[in-house]
Amino acid sequence: MADATMGRTARAPARREAMVSPRARRTITSVVLAVLCAVWVYPIVWMISASFKTNNEIFGDTGLIPDAPTVENYARAWSEANIGRYFFNTMFVTVGSVVVTVIATALMGYVLGRRRFPGRGLLMGLMVFTLFIPQGYTIIPVFELLTTAGLGQSLWGLMLATCGHSVVIFTLLFAGYFAQMPKELEEASRMDGVGPVKTFWYVMLPLSKPIVVTVVVLQTLQAWNDFLLPLVITLANPDLRTLSVGVYSFRGEHFIDWGGMNAASAITIIPIVILFLFLQRYFIDGLAGAVKG
Amino acid sequence: MSGVTLRNVTKTFGAVKVIKGVDIEIGEGEFCVFVGPSGCGKSTLLRMIAGLEETTGGDIEIGGRRVNDLDPKDRGAAMVFQTYALYPHMDVARNMGFGLRMNGWPKDEVDRRVQEAARILQLEPYLDRKPKALSGGQRQRVAIGRAIVRDPEVFLFDEPLSNLDAELRVATRLEIAKLHGTLGNSTMVYVTHDQVEAMTLADKIVVLRDGRVEQVGPPMELYRNPANLFVAGFIGSPKMNFVELSSGAMPDGTPVAQTGTARTLGFRADALRRSADGPLAGTVSVVEQLGDAVFAHFRTPWGQELVARFDPGTEIRAGEELRFDIAGPRHLFDADGQAMDAALRPAA
Ligand SMILES: Nc1ncnc2c1ncn2[C@@H]1O[C@H](COP(=O)(O)OP(=O)(O)O)[C@@H](O)[C@H]1O
Ligand SMILES: [Mg+2]
Repeated sequence: MADATMGRTARAPARREAMVSPRARRTITSVVLAVLCAVWVYPIVWMISASFKTNNEIFGDTGLIPDAPTVENYARAWSEANIGRYFFNTMFVTVGSVVVTVIATALMGYVLGRRRFPGRGLLMGLMVFTLFIPQGYTIIPVFELLTTAGLGQSLWGLMLATCGHSVVIFTLLFAGYFAQMPKELEEASRMDGVGPVKTFWYVMLPLSKPIVVTVVVLQTLQAWNDFLLPLVITLANPDLRTLSVGVYSFRGEHFIDWGGMNAASAITIIPIVILFLFLQRYFIDGLAGAVKG
Repeated sequence: MSGVTLRNVTKTFGAVKVIKGVDIEIGEGEFCVFVGPSGCGKSTLLRMIAGLEETTGGDIEIGGRRVNDLDPKDRGAAMVFQTYALYPHMDVARNMGFGLRMNGWPKDEVDRRVQEAARILQLEPYLDRKPKALSGGQRQRVAIGRAIVRDPEVFLFDEPLSNLDAELRVATRLEIAKLHGTLGNSTMVYVTHDQVEAMTLADKIVVLRDGRVEQVGPPMELYRNPANLFVAGFIGSPKMNFVELSSGAMPDGTPVAQTGTARTLGFRADALRRSADGPLAGTVSVVEQLGDAVFAHFRTPWGQELVARFDPGTEIRAGEELRFDIAGPRHLFDADGQAMDAALRPAA
């Protein structure tokens, strides 16, 4: 690595002279990134804009600024289309699945990362193997399972099923992180007369905060935006619909309420955006830490 | 307060025997140092006393109680780790009080003990800092404080100074010696690979090699009367000079008086005196000026590097030809490397 760095500094001046000046290069980079960014953000801006337009204006091609901004779409989405109810359902599923997922995967990761036991390799192999099975193939068995457990028609069932999506990835994240922690920490705690459960709760879990935050964010996104699973589970029970499924229901038989759908979509993404604004630093640290570890 | 007794203790990791039958008696209030080269099993032995490693064979007693099957927390021992092992997310006070609080001690009693430990270790200004914001020496003191608050019968130290820089190491070494005085009659077991630490701290040194005890005794006893070649070479700085003998003569044929059947002659650097007609000749290769002493490394006619100590200020240059008398204590070792009868040594 030292070689590469030295080679670069030695050769860089000659190359830089031949090309554009550093400032011009920065400007070009910024412009290119700005264009890419605009392309990326455009659909969201369009959605927000459309949510303030009437259904007629949406097709009037009036540009991004609504001629006569209206919040009517939001009112309609919230009350008539039952978005308020869906909002609660989504919240329940998200918060519940985040709590369950964090606790379960941290515990599993702790054991897999720090304890040697017979069959550990096999277990991890099997877990990784499940990553290769597409969700579509497991959704019916999962539904079966929930029905057998008597949870097929309840929010609790939906919440539990939602926990399953990334359990393997999260467990491996925790396992990797816990595996690289020095064993002296646990030993010190053992000498202090602190049992394994308290050691996990008061020493190991707080130290894995970067991973906890990562798992919270990823699981929140997953649960909040999940579509296929809640669609299947709530087919027979519209009361249990989540936002993503609820938004889809604006598509009527003969008429699609684009304004309402966009308003509902905007309501849907607001909490996620807020969450990300608050947690982005920890989140990025966590991912960087996980990759490094 | 109580001593520690190891009786024919063994330890195997898988098929590898790491501790091969160790007997050690550590008296109450004694400062005992396990010293030996890296990998000889010092840490393993200490961790067995702590209860962090299971004992494969033999008995470990603390205060007359057999503790082989006791949990670490029930053994009355506290350990200070080489890496400090502080809880990074807790401040100094919480680090020290964590064990007590988790075991349901009343908060004001925990606070009192933490304050007391902080006073002894001069950590009072740092009680609300995280370990990250402390220097290496301060972290080490916190680790010691965490042991003190538990008021253990036995303190166990595993190379507590090896992560500190040279200057701090000397200072902290003194602190630990003082601490042993302050804490009166607590027994301390201290592991190091550094024989200087062992010499300066110990009431009793246990020299370990490859899972066995080579010699046990007070520092000066080991220095003056090493039981074998290994101890002779390990204890003391610079290392003792060894010369192979055959039929009472050095490799160049110079006879050495009163060596009997000895195979190896040992003498320390300060046993050599410059003498124009001495039996030992050499060409100076390197001169080390230490201020309070001058060490001259010289090459013998048969190509061995030996070292002699001179008084400060002595002028010696590399390349000089010198002759020496072995005037100080001599050590004789038989073919198995065991020290031979002391009677063969002339009085120092
Ligand atoms: N958990 C373990 N598993 C296998 N071998 C070990 C283990 N711990 C230590 N050893 C081996 O035991 C020997 C002694 O180790 P240790 O007690 O750490 O030596 P020291 O502290 O004297 O340097 C070494 O050869 C080491 O490789
Ligand atoms: Mg060691």
